[in-house]
Amino acid sequence: MTETALPIDTPAAGRSLGQDAWLRLRRNRAAVASALVLLLLALAGIVGPWLVSHPYDRIYPQYVRAPASFEAYPKEDAIVPAFTGALERARVQIGEVQVSGNDVRAPVSSAEPIDPRIVRYVDRSDLFSNARLEDEAGQPMAEGATSAVMVADVQRVRFIFGTDANGRDLLSRILIGIRISLAIGVLASLMALVVGVTYGAVAGYFGGRLDNLMMRVVDILYSLPFIFFVILLVVFFGRNFVLIFIAIGFTEWLDMARIVRGQTLTIKRQEYVAAAEAMGVSDIDIVRRHIVPNALGPVVVFVTLLVPKAILLESLLSFLGLGVQEPLTSLGLLIAEGADNMRSAPWLLIYPAVTLTAILFALNFLGDGLRDALDPKDR
Amino acid sequence: MGTATKGTAGMGGEKILDIRGLRVDFDTNDGPVHAVRGIDLEVAPGETVAIVGESGSGKSQTMMAIMGLLAANGRASGSAKYRGQEMVGLPERRLNRIRGEKITMIFQEPMTSLDPLYRIGRQIAEPLIHHRGLSAKAARARAIELLELVGIPNPKQRIDAYPHEMSGGQRQRVMIAMALANDPDVLIADEPTTALDVTIQAQILTLIAELQKKLGMAIVFITHDLGIVKRFADRVYVMRAGEVVESGATKTLFASPQHPYTRMLLAAEPTGRKAPAPERAPVLLEGRDVEVVFGGRGGWFGGATDAIRAVDGVSVTLRQGQTIGVVGESGSGKSTLGRALLRLLPSEGAVRFGGRDISAADKQAMRPLRRQMQLVFQDPFGSLSPRMTVGQIVTEGLKVHEPQLPARERERRAVEALKEVGLEPAMRNRYPHEFSGGQRQRIAIARALILKPRVVVLDEPTSALDRSVQKQIVELLRDLQKTHDLSYLFISHDLAVVRAMADHIIVMRQGRIVEEGPTEAIFDHPREPYTKALMAAAIDGKAFRQTA
Repeated sequence: MTETALPIDTPAAGRSLGQDAWLRLRRNRAAVASALVLLLLALAGIVGPWLVSHPYDRIYPQYVRAPASFEAYPKEDAIVPAFTGALERARVQIGEVQVSGNDVRAPVSSAEPIDPRIVRYVDRSDLFSNARLEDEAGQPMAEGATSAVMVADVQRVRFIFGTDANGRDLLSRILIGIRISLAIGVLASLMALVVGVTYGAVAGYFGGRLDNLMMRVVDILYSLPFIFFVILLVVFFGRNFVLIFIAIGFTEWLDMARIVRGQTLTIKRQEYVAAAEAMGVSDIDIVRRHIVPNALGPVVVFVTLLVPKAILLESLLSFLGLGVQEPLTSLGLLIAEGADNMRSAPWLLIYPAVTLTAILFALNFLGDGLRDALDPKDR
Repeated sequence: MGTATKGTAGMGGEKILDIRGLRVDFDTNDGPVHAVRGIDLEVAPGETVAIVGESGSGKSQTMMAIMGLLAANGRASGSAKYRGQEMVGLPERRLNRIRGEKITMIFQEPMTSLDPLYRIGRQIAEPLIHHRGLSAKAARARAIELLELVGIPNPKQRIDAYPHEMSGGQRQRVMIAMALANDPDVLIADEPTTALDVTIQAQILTLIAELQKKLGMAIVFITHDLGIVKRFADRVYVMRAGEVVESGATKTLFASPQHPYTRMLLAAEPTGRKAPAPERAPVLLEGRDVEVVFGGRGGWFGGATDAIRAVDGVSVTLRQGQTIGVVGESGSGKSTLGRALLRLLPSEGAVRFGGRDISAADKQAMRPLRRQMQLVFQDPFGSLSPRMTVGQIVTEGLKVHEPQLPARERERRAVEALKEVGLEPAMRNRYPHEFSGGQRQRIAIARALILKPRVVVLDEPTSALDRSVQKQIVELLRDLQKTHDLSYLFISHDLAVVRAMADHIIVMRQGRIVEEGPTEAIFDHPREPYTKALMAAAIDGKAFRQTA
């Protein structure tokens, strides 16, 4: 038996609780994937609307409820009839219509000299622009000619996700919807976080009569029906983007306050709080330095679950027509519209619904992962 | 392992438990941790084997591995045979036929080892019905028999009690009854008395010894308390950092310890005495007829709760440079007294600090005085905020009392305070959970000291620590007292530590002072029967100290 050195107090390598949680979170594949999905969706919501070619409120009257397709509109088989239709109104004989690349051409002839103003018939259609008459050689048609070639540019537009009942591009509307929904989710949760944490920590820490009073107020607010409350707000202040997140935040902070109060009740019995008291640290500093940071674990988890809840509530409000105003939109509103057109245009329901589901799934998985990661018992 | 394990006295050919090269590894974020590094251990029928070691030595994990109770990230390898039957890697189903029936276990914490939702009778009967196939009626009869065996008074009535209706000692007796239900061959006792008061501890140990005589099972006793080992064990294994450093018959091992670690453990009892403070020293903190009452107010819907007099008319006089040891069992009101004197709890009676009456002082009025009266807690894990760095923790008091201090000066004082308690100042950017219990207690002491207090109330500052660490902390506290002329109110249930720390002792029971006097007088000539009982219960440690 060789002699072993007596124990020396050497600390383990430095790692904070947060880093520890991060390590555990990183090992949770579902959570990491969810975080990535969320990041991508958030990026899409922020920069996406500038990158897609259609503004979210641009109406294409000729493409109402166009199905989702990777092919550009108008399709080949739609161009020819539209072109002939336009030319027929000009009362000229029409030869074979040819579509090549971005222009369409057809020989036209008439017994009398062709009136150059007939290009307007073509231009009037939304599919074509820059209509002109040319001769065989491609030069502008000479005055008084009886035959020429009608050439027009075809406006090619892509609607990957199709268009809605008003002829607006669904993709850009979904992108703007992500932006609005996430913003409402995050803002409402932030509001609930700030109000709820402060309120709960104060009520829990000071306890006694103040706690009783503060929590009874919470109970009273709890008993107000949410929808009723929102309708009241809308009646008084009109429909407004800010109002929505105030309304949601205002109802969600109640849960947060209760959670934080419960945490505070256990934390304030911890010896480090007693130690701070014994040192003469003021009450506000104890709440700020000791109570709130130590209650943050469950709070972080609750926030990640609160964001999807807020998004869902906003969807509910928008579905009921109390949410954001047209032409601005949110995922909830898009789904409501999609539900109206479910039979005739299922893509209007499918794409927003898939997006919302992806966001909710990701947030919930991330929340679960965070809860596991922050639970020190799970080491 | 070395030769020490082999050829130990008293080993016949028959072994009931034979462990060879057992290893336990845990997979953690920082790579594998080797908790047990290939140990050999054997138990003969009917003998008592003690495994001694400080926390983290792997003594509990060894037994957990045999019982298949390792945490999910743990792996056991090597061999552990019960009557020739290999237990490592045995499928759960077959393992269940051995554990809980042939090998049973009692744990340290009697508060949490029993399910609070079920009556104890049902908890004892459950394994009987399960393992033995007894009928409910027969199991109940057997449960009553067992409760009688472990000395629960009135077992016929108590069998229908819920765990919360019993005291800690009684709960531990119930745990023992459950462990004995199936007549085990081996009883593993994992620190069974650590969480109990000294007098209860002695009772439980006597009970275990008697039961062994009566039932003849082998006992594996896991403990850090050498006093217990000396009294109960036939053979001892000393473990350190996952290895057995020394083993042998108790007598030989205690008489001539070979390994330096064993010698250090044996010498770990706090030694030395504090010189009494001069009689003439000025009185710093004084409490007259201090009384603390909990409860007793009417609730919201009427129904007043019973008032509990936690401290009942106690008078204390603490002089400059003096250490008053407050001794008593749990619930005697000693911690409450300490907090009442610091004005952290509302109390009746007069409290004077430095000649000034502070009994009526409110939070605001107390704040400037706080820096002169500090508190150090028992639990070094609970008393440091897990979300603050050590530097932040130590300097928090300065922020309150000297807010004008520039950050650099605060930093300098933190470094100074940490150095003074024997910690590396560079560690101040780390978080408390990275430190060991002893280091954390040093941090807590540094936090109190940085304010240059005059009075420090030490509320069981060594109870949660290993013996050898206890000794270091006691020495540190004594040194600090000398250099800073501090006055301590030292609250503890551990008589050995109190003896090394205090020059005056107060013995408390149920909120009252039972006996009071200079340390040596109390220890050598206790007058009151309660004090005598306390001393007798701690006698093992004492006897051991005399021989060691």
